[in-house]
Amino acid sequence: MKTLIKFLTIFLLFNILIEGAAATLNVIVVTDPSGEDPNGFAGGSMSFAPNMFQSTFILSKEHRFTILSGGEGEAIPRLMAIVDAINILKNGGTAAEAASAASGYSGIRIMCGGVGKGAAVGGSFDAYLVTVDDNGIITVTPQSGGLAVLPPGKKGAIIHLRNTPGNPMYGTAANVRREEAIKIGKMIRDGYPATVIVAEVFKDVSINAGEKHGGGAVNVASGVSTGDMFTPANLNETGYPMDQPYAKVCPHCGWSVGYPTAENYQVCPMDGTPLKTIYAYDALRDAITVTKGTVSVSVYGSDEAGVIQTTQEIVKATVQEDGYSEEAIAKAINDAIDHGLIIGVNYVEPKDINVKPSSRAVGVYYTPLPDDRTAPPMNLPLSSGFFEVLGDIQTALGCVLLILLLFRSTLISSFRR
Amino acid sequence: MLIKIRRDTLFILLVAYILIVSGRFMTYLSYASSTTEPEGVPVSGIIIKGNDIVPTESIRSNIAAAGFRQGSYIKGDTLVTSKRSIPLDEAIANAERFAKLSTIPGTSVTPIVAADVKVDKSTGIVTVNVIEDFSMAEIK
Repeated sequence: MKTLIKFLTIFLLFNILIEGAAATLNVIVVTDPSGEDPNGFAGGSMSFAPNMFQSTFILSKEHRFTILSGGEGEAIPRLMAIVDAINILKNGGTAAEAASAASGYSGIRIMCGGVGKGAAVGGSFDAYLVTVDDNGIITVTPQSGGLAVLPPGKKGAIIHLRNTPGNPMYGTAANVRREEAIKIGKMIRDGYPATVIVAEVFKDVSINAGEKHGGGAVNVASGVSTGDMFTPANLNETGYPMDQPYAKVCPHCGWSVGYPTAENYQVCPMDGTPLKTIYAYDALRDAITVTKGTVSVSVYGSDEAGVIQTTQEIVKATVQEDGYSEEAIAKAINDAIDHGLIIGVNYVEPKDINVKPSSRAVGVYYTPLPDDRTAPPMNLPLSSGFFEVLGDIQTALGCVLLILLLFRSTLISSFRR
Repeated sequence: MLIKIRRDTLFILLVAYILIVSGRFMTYLSYASSTTEPEGVPVSGIIIKGNDIVPTESIRSNIAAAGFRQGSYIKGDTLVTSKRSIPLDEAIANAERFAKLSTIPGTSVTPIVAADVKVDKSTGIVTVNVIEDFSMAEIK
């Protein structure tokens, strides 16, 4: 009997160990099936398990569909199912057809949806199908295994949630899944956009069910993904915990700092404004929600991640304060270069800023500095050659003095002789 | 005091110290205010088109691995990177080969079947056009 139990434990452990990327939360929310509302179609994946790379929340910007995957099966059949689903959706198939691709492989789940294609989940799942009709009547039906479909042209959502073995909150999935399904239905009825609802689901699930590591989310209607914001950096690591603080932002000038460094900052070092803490689920919502204040900023001339992100934040803050003014943006960027926030590029002039207020787009053209310099050349009244000669003379004099000092007594005595 | 130092010794030591520090500072100032012209056209930006599902960052990092990255510059027909300098044609061929190895992050699926890299020698802007085809994607 004892050996049997031992054997069973080892078997169970082994099962947990070989488990690949198993997204345990997959959610798709549709609040505008026509795709006209830029925030009306969104989805996302999250898990307690590691390896939640972007392959678990694939987005096609061109064809406007998303594929969320998961399941306890092996990696290769999962990939094959994903590629099958991509091919079906690219060739104009519906979400129901694409999701049924998963049933050909054991233990795999494919949840997919696209503008004009509806949404569906197929394979191995425990989900709730939420539909909201135009009179505001919410229908919530549990579905598990096989195929669950939200037909094209209907408002609603599909949420799949399971607990990962080893999660300290194991066993909460069934309750949270039902609560979330009802909450999603109410939020759709009350007119919230899909991206906000998805962020809300991420918040509740990460706090109440512990399936909290990103993953990420996509805005299908506008083709925006959180990309690698929350995904793990390396293989066999977990992603960012979605219930934790993500960054601190200055509401005035746009200066921001990520965690864990942010713990040391209470006020903005630029202007002393108290910083606002952004939780990961807030950051997710802001990243995928397209608003009137959204400015698309393109940066040319520097590929450094820090430079691009800082420039985007600065431009956004400036546009909110001063509107689309080349002079104001150039001044704000030059201030940031002076403060050392942006390094490796030269000062910009208003002609290096290209604004298109109609499409809410700003382009910034930097000139990179030569020889790995971090700051632009200083503007001094005297030439650099003068300083070089002066510096060399001073250094030499200093060294001569030191030597004189060392041999002082010898020298003095030799003079007296 | 363990060591006896005369006051004028200390004074000369101080003067020498100040001289050296300010001398070094002057040399730094001359470096900071010098305006050296870059030797070639720096690679100023990478524009990626045609990708739908493969994220732009994956392709960008592969193109960077082929030498088109921050800090590299184009000098005539050679690309000078932080590691070595190679003929521009070879770098472009490498970039095209590397672009085709871009995957969906977290998988081994390489859906890019063709890539075309163009380099503008006067502005330093690199344009990458790729074609994705999932019907030919291999899964290993």
